[in-house]
Amino acid sequence: MNPLDLTVVLVVAGLYTVGFLLVLDRSLMRVVLGFAVLGHGSNLLLLVVGGRPGAAPVLGTVAPGEMADPLPQAMALTAIVITFGLTTFLLALAYRSWTFTGHDTVRDDVEDRRLGSVADRRAREERE
Amino acid sequence: MLILVIAHLVVAALVPPAARRWGPRALLAFAALPTAALAWTLTRAPGVLAGEAVRETVKWAGTLDLSFAFRLDPLALLVLLLVTGVGAAVLVHGAYYLDDADAGRVGALLLVFAGAMVGLVTADHLITLYVFWELTTVCSFLLIGGVGATRAERKAALQALLVTALGGLLMLLGLVMLGEAAGTYRLSAILSAPPRGGLVEAALALVLVGAFTKSAQLPFHPWLPAAMVAPTPVSAYLHAAAMVKAGVYLVARWTPAFADVPFWRPAVLVVGLLTLLVGAWRALAETDLKRLLAFGTVSELGLLMVLFGAGTPVAASAGAAMLLAHGAFKAALFLLTGVLDHQLGTRDARELSGVARTFPGLAAVAVLAAASMAGLPPLVGFLGKEASYEAFAGDPVVLAPLVLGSVLTVAYSVRFLWGGFATKPGVKASAGQRPTIGFVLPPAVLAAAGLLLGLWPGLTDDLARGYANGYGPTQEYHLAMWHGFTAPLLFSAVALVAGVGVGWAWDRLAALRARLPRAPEAQRGYEYGVRGLDALALQLTRRTQVGSLPLYLTVILLVVLAGPGLLLALHAPTSVPATMNGLVVQVPLGVLVLAAAIAVPRARHRLSAVLLTGVVGYGVAGLFVAHGAPDLALTQFLVETLVLVVFALVLRRMPVRFTPLRRGWRLHWPRWLAAGGVGLMVGAFALRAAAARDQPAISHAYLDHAEQAGAHNVVSAVLVDFRALDTLGEIGVLAVAAVGVASLVVGARRPRRGQEQEREREREREEVPR
Amino acid sequence: MSADRPGPDTPPRPRGKHQPRDRWLPGAHELPVPRRSMLLEVVTRLVFPAVLVLSLYLLLAGHHRTGGGFSGGLVASQAFVLRYLAGGRADLARAAPAEPQKVLGVGLALAAAVALTPLLLGQPVLTSAVLHVEPPVFGPVEVPSSLLFDAGVYLVVVGVTLKLLRSLGVRIERETDNGGEAR
Repeated sequence: MNPLDLTVVLVVAGLYTVGFLLVLDRSLMRVVLGFAVLGHGSNLLLLVVGGRPGAAPVLGTVAPGEMADPLPQAMALTAIVITFGLTTFLLALAYRSWTFTGHDTVRDDVEDRRLGSVADRRAREERE
Repeated sequence: MLILVIAHLVVAALVPPAARRWGPRALLAFAALPTAALAWTLTRAPGVLAGEAVRETVKWAGTLDLSFAFRLDPLALLVLLLVTGVGAAVLVHGAYYLDDADAGRVGALLLVFAGAMVGLVTADHLITLYVFWELTTVCSFLLIGGVGATRAERKAALQALLVTALGGLLMLLGLVMLGEAAGTYRLSAILSAPPRGGLVEAALALVLVGAFTKSAQLPFHPWLPAAMVAPTPVSAYLHAAAMVKAGVYLVARWTPAFADVPFWRPAVLVVGLLTLLVGAWRALAETDLKRLLAFGTVSELGLLMVLFGAGTPVAASAGAAMLLAHGAFKAALFLLTGVLDHQLGTRDARELSGVARTFPGLAAVAVLAAASMAGLPPLVGFLGKEASYEAFAGDPVVLAPLVLGSVLTVAYSVRFLWGGFATKPGVKASAGQRPTIGFVLPPAVLAAAGLLLGLWPGLTDDLARGYANGYGPTQEYHLAMWHGFTAPLLFSAVALVAGVGVGWAWDRLAALRARLPRAPEAQRGYEYGVRGLDALALQLTRRTQVGSLPLYLTVILLVVLAGPGLLLALHAPTSVPATMNGLVVQVPLGVLVLAAAIAVPRARHRLSAVLLTGVVGYGVAGLFVAHGAPDLALTQFLVETLVLVVFALVLRRMPVRFTPLRRGWRLHWPRWLAAGGVGLMVGAFALRAAAARDQPAISHAYLDHAEQAGAHNVVSAVLVDFRALDTLGEIGVLAVAAVGVASLVVGARRPRRGQEQEREREREREEVPR
Repeated sequence: MSADRPGPDTPPRPRGKHQPRDRWLPGAHELPVPRRSMLLEVVTRLVFPAVLVLSLYLLLAGHHRTGGGFSGGLVASQAFVLRYLAGGRADLARAAPAEPQKVLGVGLALAAAVALTPLLLGQPVLTSAVLHVEPPVFGPVEVPSSLLFDAGVYLVVVGVTLKLLRSLGVRIERETDNGGEAR
């Protein structure tokens, strides 16, 4: 059991909500921002679930018992950098979509639609 | 035994080049391998029959308790004799039957199959068994389908694959359940101390389904006659002598341990007897000799199921004898049909005539093999039949169908001989080149083996008793030609006389048969099933694949909510150890982060949305500081700055405002529901996860060891030392992302002059499939 | 990509009478005048070396204080970002120590080499060792082998940033110059 900071939990919940709202948007730029926000939320979640707040985990400064858990910190640090890579990649994707099509919105997938029409055609053939 | 399997697989790789270089006759040389395997099996036979099983274990994945374990016991010996013996005969036959195009491929696959079969019957580990089982399925698929030239081939191959693989998967489920229930996957261990219980019974039912599909039992049998589109060597080997015996083998292997499971005997007996009768009945009506034999095989497999599933020593003896007999005579008959087909260009009974006069030697071999099939003395088929009557002498419910089945078997044996070799009025005599001696040799040898086993009942008895002794050491019955004037002899005589009568009079009976109500065909069932599945898949795709990414994501999120979210709600912790300490720092920062975050979706301008996201990032960095993670905060701060710069660089080129969206694209309330729900769920998860910790954090060890790594900053030590592999992977990802970004931007360069045409072409290419 | 450097097709501007031989930022004079900011150029020139030194400090101190390869690399990246913003693409090309992909590659190779070296010595992958040295002035110093690993991380981060500036910055900028307005 470790007690946990309710403020941070609320922030995490809020970041996830906003992040998913953005990811569900049709604008690619908003989707990219949504990923960034989700990344923030996840890092915070890692940290807050990993242990209670404490002093910086540097040996020789305070007693080990008063330190914050270093493992979630290391994980979150890795996550931050990975999110950075992912965000820039998504951004480049959105940019490419914009240069090619003149917009950066997620259109409905024509291939998928066509699958549906195949089903229709088959069904008609079945009936006939 | 592993070496034997590997030898088959390795040598198989040599077949195609050899066949390309020397033509189909090269297969003669490769027949040496199964022959050698046969010889090896024979040298092991005395020891194995004396009760000393040969064992071999090769560790594979030790931690998962996976190993290749092999065990040669009397039952494996029986099937192994069949597999290697028929394998050699089939390869020799194939050398004459196959043409240049097929020889390499078919020959190689036949060897692979032989190797898989050797592995299958000697496997002493459930998973090994399954692997080889499916390997035979795959071989069967490839061999039936050929190169997929005709629709019939593709259909038949697919049917065989679907039916047997379905059974195989169910069997895998059963095997895993059984292995878990028994606590071991070692087959011999399970059989020597069979587990019991509801789980075990369910597992056995699944395994039985697997065995039934593989051995073409009712109602799964149609794939076997359909598989007759394959070349004759394939049909003779896979679909008569070897592969279809796998299911029978499995039942034979497991009956000693599980015969007293309540449903085992009834299930096997009912299915087996029905298959026996239906198969024989259908065989009578066929005029294509190969299909006649195929339905005959279905019928015989039913008989074998009955004998091996009955669970009595005499029945087991009969089963073992019939197994050998059937392998020999059915392979011989298939190969003979192949010879006819090859020399005369047809295998249809209505077109063949006077073959016995043209090819008397061939006819003699056919009579010998068919006599064994009909159960005539002094052939091994007679030994098996006698024993099977004896086994069920006190059980008229089984005996009656058994005798009826024998009558029909004799009848279709007569039909086969008549259809293939008799001189028919009104049909012109078939003419063709006399087959070379090597072409006729394999069926002749197989038929002679049937004769040998019949004339030397002591040998057959020894082989059969080795297996039958597994049911108990005291067995009075011996396989023999002459038991005196007994009931089985009477039944044999009845079957023979009635069978010949039916066979003789079949053409007149056929009119009667036409008036019988048509029984539903299992083939129809298969076709309806597949078509229904197709239609269902299409409908399902139509309903679910609407092409809208946000909709897909919404559904995913709602599923997350309905699954883990619901569980989380149901298992809410009783007390949440939440505090509100750090009011001074956390609360203002939290308010700032939330306010900025909420403003992001509302922003109309791209840049303001980006800047607001940056505020969120800096705020989170502040929260990291408050938590005691300065390294994290520093990195977050720097990364956030870099992200802002990168966004700004890209936004230079993009419109200031977001692209206005079409009306109706925005599904408002489900989005809010999904996003808000998941947000709440994650918050609840944080509370739950924090409450769930009952072990000390593992990072205490890190704290202790950081000094050794020459570091005081533990986070740094974790990153570059304790979990450096993660970091190595991470910088790899970073590098890949950077390279990816570069290539995306380069690819996105605006077309200029010369590139304009290229773009046009590209656009056309994109539009072609529409 | 040598095209990013001023090639022979960009003729050097005639040097005016009062124009000094050395410039604050070597590439900035190639920017059109309205895009230049004197304040930014001067500050960048003054701050750039200091920021790089700071980044090296973070890299070296990371084992004992806050810092490490990631933060060090990121700080160095900011220095290059500053050069690009203030002095444009030509200045960035002069400031960058090498081609971005080379920096990236050397970084990755260094980290991988540190990871694999223990294998040669019969140890598990990524085993670390601490080297104690005593140089004359500084007193005893501990050099862990993971410092080299961290240096690899540092180089990768710098390389990634340079690559991003190249692609998202210089590329897009050139397209804007060539292709005209944003649609």
